[in-house]
Amino acid sequence: MVNMLKRMRKLRELLWIRNGPGAIQLPKEVTKISVEFHKKLIGSQHRGARHFWHDILPRIKYRNPTLPISVIRHADPAGPAYLNIYTSTPTPQTSTTPPPSTTTAPEALNDTPTHTIEIKDLHESEILEALVEKTGAVVLRTPPEEAAEMAEIEEFKERAEVDRVEVREKLMKVRREEELLKLARGEISAQE
Amino acid sequence: MAHPRSFLAPLSRITAPSIASARPTLTQLAALPLHQTSIRCKTTKAPDAKKRKARKHYLQSDLKKADQFSLIDAMHYIRAFEVGRTPTSSKYEVHVRFRTLKNGPSVRNRLRLPHPVKTDLRICVIAPPGSKAAADARAAGASLVGEDEVFAQIKEGNIDFDRCICHMDSLQKMNKAALGRILGPKGLMPSTKTGTVVTNVGATVKSMVGASEYRERDAVVRLAVGQLGFTPEEMQTNIKAFMETLKKDIARLNGTPKEIHEVVLSSTNSPGFTLNGDFKGPDSVSARALSGPL
Repeated sequence: MVNMLKRMRKLRELLWIRNGPGAIQLPKEVTKISVEFHKKLIGSQHRGARHFWHDILPRIKYRNPTLPISVIRHADPAGPAYLNIYTSTPTPQTSTTPPPSTTTAPEALNDTPTHTIEIKDLHESEILEALVEKTGAVVLRTPPEEAAEMAEIEEFKERAEVDRVEVREKLMKVRREEELLKLARGEISAQE
Repeated sequence: MAHPRSFLAPLSRITAPSIASARPTLTQLAALPLHQTSIRCKTTKAPDAKKRKARKHYLQSDLKKADQFSLIDAMHYIRAFEVGRTPTSSKYEVHVRFRTLKNGPSVRNRLRLPHPVKTDLRICVIAPPGSKAAADARAAGASLVGEDEVFAQIKEGNIDFDRCICHMDSLQKMNKAALGRILGPKGLMPSTKTGTVVTNVGATVKSMVGASEYRERDAVVRLAVGQLGFTPEEMQTNIKAFMETLKKDIARLNGTPKEIHEVVLSSTNSPGFTLNGDFKGPDSVSARALSGPL
């Protein structure tokens, strides 16, 4: 079992899933969200979409537990990258972009998405902005005490990083000295 | 008892205002200067003159300091962590930690959960071909039945099954075939101790299909207890059934000191949540909210 301290530290960092970009309350009309993008990250235009899935979708899911969210990752680098929003009462103004042509489009709900946002080359924050704008979601504010705690964790991590560098320096120094001593004693030849 | 001493210092370094009960505590941590004169690091101390006595128990952490979650809260977080994953590939897991001796007997058994997690189990039965046992095994759903051809297949390294059962009559033949080297490390070697050498093959196979096996390793039992799509109620019955069987297993060990210390719920892509035994906390969402599709 993972060490208790490790687990607890990780859980304390669970605050990230409660607050931050993506902590939004979607209106009741939204019935489903689906994201479609390419599998790989390297050299692709789907970076923002993938980050949106990893960083922002958990927050949305946490705040809207009843909302089904599906992620489709296709294997075609030139393929589409879409964010589809399904609502129960379709608004008259539908998007001009056509729905994704691939057959992997969500067939669970047999209707077409109310909004389809093209998310190729978009940063995850831009995707979130578009989502909030289209649905009229309420952005939840971080409670001050949780914000303070998050800042504290941040500080802890910074300090840990500083410590790590210092410890490393000290360790390297000791090792260098040992090496020099060995050289002086002639245990290893200098050519090596 | 275990020594909680070594845990005290690090826990106080990152004092733990839990998020389960989000207490607004501003700690003294923030007041500490960033650069300290001394470097805080693990130092290699000179070994004690007298060698310390080896521990007989596994170390236990103090659960009072830990954040504990009700089942619904844990599932709420886990479902958020598993967003966008395929519901069939991600599973809920339960890890049960014991207070136990290091060299004591360990718990090992299998059980049939009220809501099975995995149903496509492939079972290999070693029984004389053409016998009644072999026919029974086939009828009960075993995917591989036989003797010599099974041995040959295993020796080739072609192991496409998850469980292996041996009929009592074939035991000697199997032992002669020396499969222990191959099957042993995978935990597939049939033996009377694990209840996989039997006379009534058909019934065993039947009980094994849809059952899951667990064993204690380093004082922890791990078991996949649910698919991601399960409702909180289904999870509750599954976890309860698991704990009941565990208690029976412990009772069967005839007075060896062993107690359940901690129950942790996690999933394929989430951190572990220590459960506090409650179904619902004061601020939890309703169970229905977690019952829908992912």
